[in-house]
Amino acid sequence: MALRDNAIVGFAETKIVEKSDRDVWELGAEILETLLDRTGFDKGEIDGLILSSSMTGAGNCFWSQTTADQLALEVDFCQTVDIGGCSPVGAIARACAAIDAGLCTTVLCLFADTQSAETNQRLRHFQAEWTLPLGLMGPPAAFGFISNRYEHQFGLDYAMLGKLAVAQRNHALLNDNACEKLRKPITIDDYLKSRMIADPVRLLDSVMVCDGASGLIITSRKNAARKSLNKIVTPIGYGERTTYRASQAIVDVTETGHKVAGQRAFAQAGLSPRNIASFHPYDDFIIAILLQMEMLGFCKHGQGCDFVRERSFAIDGDLPLNTGGGQISAGQCGLAGGGTNLIEAVRQLFGEGGARQVANTRNALVTGIGGIPYARNWNSSVVMILTPEG
Amino acid sequence: MSMINDTLDVAREAPKSRSFSKPFWDATREKKLLLQYDPAVEKYQFFPRATSIYTGRRNLEWRESAGIGAVHSFTIARRARPPFQGKEPFFIAVVTLDEGVNVMGNMVDCALDEMKIGLRVKPFWAPLPDGTHMLMFTPQR
Repeated sequence: MALRDNAIVGFAETKIVEKSDRDVWELGAEILETLLDRTGFDKGEIDGLILSSSMTGAGNCFWSQTTADQLALEVDFCQTVDIGGCSPVGAIARACAAIDAGLCTTVLCLFADTQSAETNQRLRHFQAEWTLPLGLMGPPAAFGFISNRYEHQFGLDYAMLGKLAVAQRNHALLNDNACEKLRKPITIDDYLKSRMIADPVRLLDSVMVCDGASGLIITSRKNAARKSLNKIVTPIGYGERTTYRASQAIVDVTETGHKVAGQRAFAQAGLSPRNIASFHPYDDFIIAILLQMEMLGFCKHGQGCDFVRERSFAIDGDLPLNTGGGQISAGQCGLAGGGTNLIEAVRQLFGEGGARQVANTRNALVTGIGGIPYARNWNSSVVMILTPEG
Repeated sequence: MSMINDTLDVAREAPKSRSFSKPFWDATREKKLLLQYDPAVEKYQFFPRATSIYTGRRNLEWRESAGIGAVHSFTIARRARPPFQGKEPFFIAVVTLDEGVNVMGNMVDCALDEMKIGLRVKPFWAPLPDGTHMLMFTPQR
């Protein structure tokens, strides 16, 4: 038994909106119904439920079982994954582990959050004691530190960050599920001139909090074959690392857990960065894409700007990047936002990209980033390589 | 000189300490900076934790620091929530103390064009309503 003995047999996604007038469970119901229609599974055949974290669900420490009850799912395995933006990709790995262990056979992975309309978070965190009294607003400031440090160590060509922002925005223009407010063309000059939020992090570096949901059904390949579900996507490599270098007082914030998570995922998949057909990195801030390119080995540490300068990230480019626009140009569905780039990768491998379909569907690499610690990089890093089979 | 605020007029509340961070906050009443020190590995750590980040054991000591160091990185907050709203822009710096830990703080009496990575700084203690103090930094001139 292994990761690759499991299959994603269907995916679903709602439209991403600035503020949802529909309840988070209504979004969940839409995902469930779409997945049942697509896969032909009966509701009673779903015997596992794994949720991503949700700012809307954050006030409820019974979140996964309450949601199972709301959707009337009778399951043998029920949990919420709480590693922030890594939760959706992490949910797939946990679903595969649960299926491999014989705990369940068919898992609904549901990523739903309406953070913009209804946030219920009450963090027990270092922040109240150590960063809120400094007026630190969270992620933008943390990425301000990272960006200034990167510039100090390696130099940083902001026009190259702009190039990434423009590539993603062009893809959002082709994505009907992307938040409408963001579906307007931008130029590198627009990026460079956008207002500072936390220097040198600009508005067009940053995600906008939105509402939305996505989900997948995962079952064993054996079960998929029995159900005659021939169109499948299989995870062939996965790596996860939380609190990278936790035992050091001072860390290089330009280095992240994706370095070790990536090595593990590539080794498991038997692939290297040059084999990757499309790249779907978690994007909360543009520089996070650059850091991940370096950590995953697409280029050397500190040479991301040269790599970006020499490549095209368009649908028909050398390395298609976040072909749905990424979270920065499609909108961030709260803590379910890690599902957006994941679903896009699966959609591409199913060959359902429509106007933005990539030609090379041999594989796709998707990542997650979760949590902002104190004067460090980020808390959790995940890397997953997917391939179509069947 | 471009304008940047020092946040000294922000009406901050005193942060609530935890059982294991209380000695830090108590010492700030006398404008003293205490750092946790693990004698087993002869290293410091910050922020205060219930365990040594190096060994997972609890044999930590508190040692006084002069609070002298150099800016490791920084950002300028252009947007903030209350009670900082309206006080933007202001610096938030990550300072590497000479003891080998990174500490974050606001900057007092530091011009926009004076700030840079490597700038040597010393502590500045801002009073809080309960008699404790907030650690800030100011350039060592």
